[in-house]
Amino acid sequence: MKKITYPKQVLDKMQDIVDNCMGDAPPYCQATCPMHTDVKGYVNLIGEGKHKEAINLIREKLFLPATLGRICAHPCEEKCKREEAFRQPMAIAALKRFAADNYDDKKDWNLTIEVEKPQKIAVIGAGPAGAQAALDLRRKGYKVTVFERLQVVGGMMRVGIPEYRLPRHIIDHEYSLLKDIGVEFKMGVEIGKDISFESLKNDFDAVIIAVGAHKGVVIPIPGHDLNGVLNAVDFLREVSLTRKYDIGKKIAVIGGGNVAIDVARSARRVGAEEVHLVCLESRPEMPAHDWEIEEAEEEGIILHDGFGPVKIVGNNGKVSGFEIKKCVSVFDEDGKFNPKYDENVKKILDVDNVVFAVGQAVDNSFDQEGDLETIRGGKFKVDPITLQTKIENVFVAGDASGRSVIAIEAMAEGRKAAISVDRFFNNQDMLEDREYEGAYETWLETDLKEDDIDIPRIKTTQRDPKERVKSFEEVDLGFTEEQAINEASRCLKCECKLCMKECEMLGDYCECPKDLFENILKTGEVDPIIPYSCNMCSQCTIACPKDFEIKDRFMDIRKLMIKANDGKSPIKGHGAIEVHQALGFSKLFNTARPAKK
Amino acid sequence: MTVKTKRVFIPGCSLPSYNPEAVKRTLEYLQEKLPGTGAILKCCGKPTKALGQVDKFKERYSQFQAEVDKLGAEEIIVACQSCYMTMSEYSPNQKVTSLWQLLPEIGLPKEAIGKGKDSDIVFAIHDSCPTRNVKSIHDGIRWIMNELGYKVEEPPHTRENTRCCGFGGMVVPANPELALRVMKRRTSEMKSDYVVAYCAACRESMVKGGKKAVHILDLIFGETWNSKSEFPGVPGSPVTSWANRYKSKKNINKVLK
Repeated sequence: MKKITYPKQVLDKMQDIVDNCMGDAPPYCQATCPMHTDVKGYVNLIGEGKHKEAINLIREKLFLPATLGRICAHPCEEKCKREEAFRQPMAIAALKRFAADNYDDKKDWNLTIEVEKPQKIAVIGAGPAGAQAALDLRRKGYKVTVFERLQVVGGMMRVGIPEYRLPRHIIDHEYSLLKDIGVEFKMGVEIGKDISFESLKNDFDAVIIAVGAHKGVVIPIPGHDLNGVLNAVDFLREVSLTRKYDIGKKIAVIGGGNVAIDVARSARRVGAEEVHLVCLESRPEMPAHDWEIEEAEEEGIILHDGFGPVKIVGNNGKVSGFEIKKCVSVFDEDGKFNPKYDENVKKILDVDNVVFAVGQAVDNSFDQEGDLETIRGGKFKVDPITLQTKIENVFVAGDASGRSVIAIEAMAEGRKAAISVDRFFNNQDMLEDREYEGAYETWLETDLKEDDIDIPRIKTTQRDPKERVKSFEEVDLGFTEEQAINEASRCLKCECKLCMKECEMLGDYCECPKDLFENILKTGEVDPIIPYSCNMCSQCTIACPKDFEIKDRFMDIRKLMIKANDGKSPIKGHGAIEVHQALGFSKLFNTARPAKK
Repeated sequence: MTVKTKRVFIPGCSLPSYNPEAVKRTLEYLQEKLPGTGAILKCCGKPTKALGQVDKFKERYSQFQAEVDKLGAEEIIVACQSCYMTMSEYSPNQKVTSLWQLLPEIGLPKEAIGKGKDSDIVFAIHDSCPTRNVKSIHDGIRWIMNELGYKVEEPPHTRENTRCCGFGGMVVPANPELALRVMKRRTSEMKSDYVVAYCAACRESMVKGGKKAVHILDLIFGETWNSKSEFPGVPGSPVTSWANRYKSKKNINKVLK
């Protein structure tokens, strides 16, 4: 057979399949995960009882599986098909925790690195963004030093997220990978104080700023300067480091997010007996997760949803009360933050402290010269694709650029910064092929199948609220093996591949049509047995959400092969058809009779 | 005086190779109901088309078309679903009718009606995939089965959603192992051990897939089929098929003497 040259119209139709086939589209959970954890993969391994394989698969993407299994805000679960269909998403994070807690073995950790390289990188901050950047760059063979102001690693996971949600030994254990792989840590060293930012820039080939947002914000309402007004960041840091805080018996927290909940619940554990949570949003609109609100209420937190601050009442310079008023709407018609109040509905809470949990700002004071541009909240301005600042060897990752809100996003930003630093060192294009870093929208479109029924999500066991408020011991006890397997078995295994399930032959030759035609387009070649194994039955097209006429593509190829093979089929077995055809047209077997007279 | 050949019955290739008697009885019945019906036994060239032999198909089809035109037929009556599709596309001047669309209009032979009502078996219906979008053919087959009185089973994939029997696309000579898998997958979704097809190639595939299978013309012109009947197998060699084809030719010539 001569080499085939494909006409443009034939190529275009194959290209259409390559461009639009969803056969290789990642499931919603995986695309939504900023670190692209193979959720479907590990969840189903757990479902099959292959827990060890599950944790190994998780570790291919995440070095903090036990940590994230506890505190990840799991945007993946919000995009789970079971959430969309039944409001009962897979308990992805809890399954991760199950695999990590019970089957993670330090002996299996991957400590390999590429060949040692001369460049040195300084990472400021040992939170999730800094740690991920450090890990990725060390794996590339670079020399990485992490500078951390505190004596402990983990950043906001350590001094923001309370201990009852994330026991500290887990962070230390999981972070030990970084030390084992050769990342150097300088603990208790503050840039801008102990070492100047200037000298860091000079002594290292690149700097990644991952300082997080550790500056509490206080809204300047009347009374904000009274004794007893606190901010969430300082409060949580102090509680995290000491398990203590000198706080009154009755307190109010203002804010409707997860941090406000953390403050309220932590306050219960350091002695507050009456904790009021005040937020502008009505309960369903609160940014905090539903289950966090529920857990707080179980611990006796009194919710004042739909209320905003009027003033903090003082007595002798100290907080003695908090006046609040009904908030009727938070956003205006244009979607802007513009709360409207009903001035006739007011309450005064009798409290000793008011804690503001209304956001965090970046402490950028280490950049004393003001070399870097900043935006709202003290955040550093970066190129959104590369995370590069206007100083070409300085990059910013995580909350410090304002581009992440949760730990897993911060890690993805750390990874992005690491990719940029590596490209920068190698003089590579900084912008090319970066659209699938971090969370993205998958091109997968699936519908529920007939037998996909609503099976309720399995909840993890929690310690008794009355007991748990007495200490910082972990509240959530995680899944038992039986629970984990049952929960994992609910996975809908989202994928397209409908044609692959319908067609017997495609599965012999490809993962999906995209894979098959991509290969043909790339190599210009295809084994004749492939187009000649199609039954031309159209069942693939019927199954295909994009209605691809795959049989017609195979017919295009058949025709070209016949042309390239002097009019004959390239398939040996088709010789018999030649004989049949000759006979089928021979006088011996033909007749044509007119109607009877 | 010559009677004008208004229409022509084209039994196709696989049916004459399978059952020359059915070809004869069909043609006789058409003579009775629709005088002015001629017949052509000739391949339409579809196998060349399926292989991608564009030029050869054109040449073959024009030979076939010449025979139709020579007889002056305005309507083609086909018993093969590939013929139906091919001729509908390439013979724009003729009206193409499937035998399975025609029979509900002209009725079954009297002696066939109710023939299967006492049978102890259920026939799973296998629809041919080329005519998956021709609902009137599917309806016709069900109508015929109902007239005959046989009990039927609709497999999960049926009518417009039917699955290939495994024979399509000339896969059998190219990739016999795959074709057999497709055949077995098709038969595995049918509960009954008995299948009725309306394409002789499909019927053969059903047998290879492990079922006892008949062509619907076997039901119309044969005796009552039941669990004691001996069902037709697969041809032992191509010689058998060609011998049948030759008999079919003779039968046509005999009927249209």
